[in-house]
Amino acid sequence: MKWRRLGRILDPSEVKLIDGQCGYAQSPQALPFDDFVRVYFSTRIRDRHGMFVSQVAYVDFDRDFSRIVDHSREAVIRLGRLGSFDEHGIFPMNLLRVGEKVYAFTTGWSRRRSVAVDAAIGLAVSSDGGVTFEKYGDGPIFSASLDQPFLVGDAFVALFNDEFHMWYIYGTKWIRHSSNEQPERVYKIGHARSMDCIDWVRSDHRVIADKLGSDECQALPTVVRFNDRYHMWFCYRHATDFRSNPARGYRIAYASSEDMVSWRRNDEDAGIDLSPNGWDSEMLCYPHVFHHAGKLWMLYNGNEFGRFGFGLAVLEDC
Amino acid sequence: MGRVFDPTAVVGRSWLREFAQAPATLVFDDFVRVYFSCRPPADRNGQYVSYSAYVDLDRANLMQVVGMADAPIMGLGDLGTFDEFGVYPVSVIRDGDRVLAYYGGWARCESVPFTVAIGAAESRDGGVSFFRLGKGPLLASNASDPFVLSGPKVRRFGDLWYLWYVAGTAWLENDGKPEAVYKIRMATSTDGLHWSRTGRNLLENRLEANECQASPDVFHYRDRYHMFFCYKYSLDFRNNHRGYRIGYAVSDDLLTWARDDAEAGIDISASGWDDQSIAYPHVFELDGSLYMLYLGNQVGRYGFGLAKSVPQAEAADCR
Repeated sequence: MKWRRLGRILDPSEVKLIDGQCGYAQSPQALPFDDFVRVYFSTRIRDRHGMFVSQVAYVDFDRDFSRIVDHSREAVIRLGRLGSFDEHGIFPMNLLRVGEKVYAFTTGWSRRRSVAVDAAIGLAVSSDGGVTFEKYGDGPIFSASLDQPFLVGDAFVALFNDEFHMWYIYGTKWIRHSSNEQPERVYKIGHARSMDCIDWVRSDHRVIADKLGSDECQALPTVVRFNDRYHMWFCYRHATDFRSNPARGYRIAYASSEDMVSWRRNDEDAGIDLSPNGWDSEMLCYPHVFHHAGKLWMLYNGNEFGRFGFGLAVLEDC
Repeated sequence: MGRVFDPTAVVGRSWLREFAQAPATLVFDDFVRVYFSCRPPADRNGQYVSYSAYVDLDRANLMQVVGMADAPIMGLGDLGTFDEFGVYPVSVIRDGDRVLAYYGGWARCESVPFTVAIGAAESRDGGVSFFRLGKGPLLASNASDPFVLSGPKVRRFGDLWYLWYVAGTAWLENDGKPEAVYKIRMATSTDGLHWSRTGRNLLENRLEANECQASPDVFHYRDRYHMFFCYKYSLDFRNNHRGYRIGYAVSDDLLTWARDDAEAGIDISASGWDDQSIAYPHVFELDGSLYMLYLGNQVGRYGFGLAKSVPQAEAADCR
């Protein structure tokens, strides 16, 4: 497969989305309408302690992504109150139309002491086409379990064969290299099924084989169906020294399946790699693939996890 | 009957300096094993971790300690796990030749001091040592239980498993020192592993809307279900008028509970180790009598005591 790059379509320094916004437009995810495409993403502010907090915003593009026609002017979904799973940020948010509603699957972040954070997946529902969302409870709908002990996030939900399928990630361990360094996390892609988007049954097998060994981190799965197969893009990286060392940072990977149970990983077929220079020359992450206007599109982030915005590519052949 | 166990008198166990919280029993032929949670000295920041262990009481004379755990029944969780900083409290139940433990696991947070989720562990040596069923929690927060989930108490009535637990409903800001509000809730299961939560509070409030309720201890006796629990004010509860007291409720169906604290039949003492607060009741039937284990001042800092139910006819004779 081959993706044709259309370039960066949002530079967060050029659109005023939220008070105090300081760069970042991470994990873009699309909600296509007839005559425009709404793209949600997380941008960042700093809280009163100077620490980053992720907030969801959106930008509306016209049908062929040639220009921005509208954007949100305040946080699309409020953060949780004191002690909530999503008190310190929401990142990312995945959208799915269910009847007349739009469901948002959020990853909520809360800070910890011995490790930086924990995460869990929440649900919020919009009745106005995705402008505002109401949370389904103060807590998460999907969180840690006996075998998936922490850092449950990055939900991607799709309806296939009359059943909702969720691909997501879960933490497997925290690695502490030395007492003066922050522990680093390892996470893998998981899968669960549901009839109502609220009660989920986990699959008990690993979804995607490791390429970089057991400490490989796998993130942000996105799944589409075409040509009688299921296709997944995701990103992966080394567990340590991945922030500033381009050789160990995120790349976009690919796997395919006929039954959503058994996946064959083939990163050579991802169809997209680093640019020779520019905003996506050192890192590629957080792919989101969707059907729109008879084509297949990919939104993705580049260097520094999306600090400089996101780009768009279109599939040339499959 | 008085205090059974004083943890501050124990020597030679680095993991036990003080506290013996949340007693729960497992009855053997010759002794009654009482699980409790305890603490080593606080760290240099004044923060505690909790371990769980047990003492064995002579079945013929429950005031007599005849044995004690040499080590905690399980270690603390790995880095970043839900039970990294505490295993407290523990509720045990026999299931064939194994013993299952349901426990609160403690993690430290930034904006609030901690959060708690419910874990599960199994023993194959009669309850001396337990291994986790997984690194993660069995029950974690969800849409209806968004905050702490703690204080599990497991029971089986008929073919169903029941888990009473404490669910946080809010964190109060309290001028930068957040305090949790929590209520008693219930889940049911057919296998002890997959639980269905009712998602609602079982007991009405008596003190205030933010009343904290804990230690839901349910038993079946004379064709009814009885619950002893403890309750306190949400703020300033270290003041003894606002600290824990023991409450009581009764039910015919385990769903609808009539609260009647006047029937609890126990209050703080006039003086001594339980003269300021009493908490964490656990009631068990043994050899034809009903007993209650409970904590005294500072939620078990100085151990737990035992009370014996006086039959009503006998009590009436005393008047």
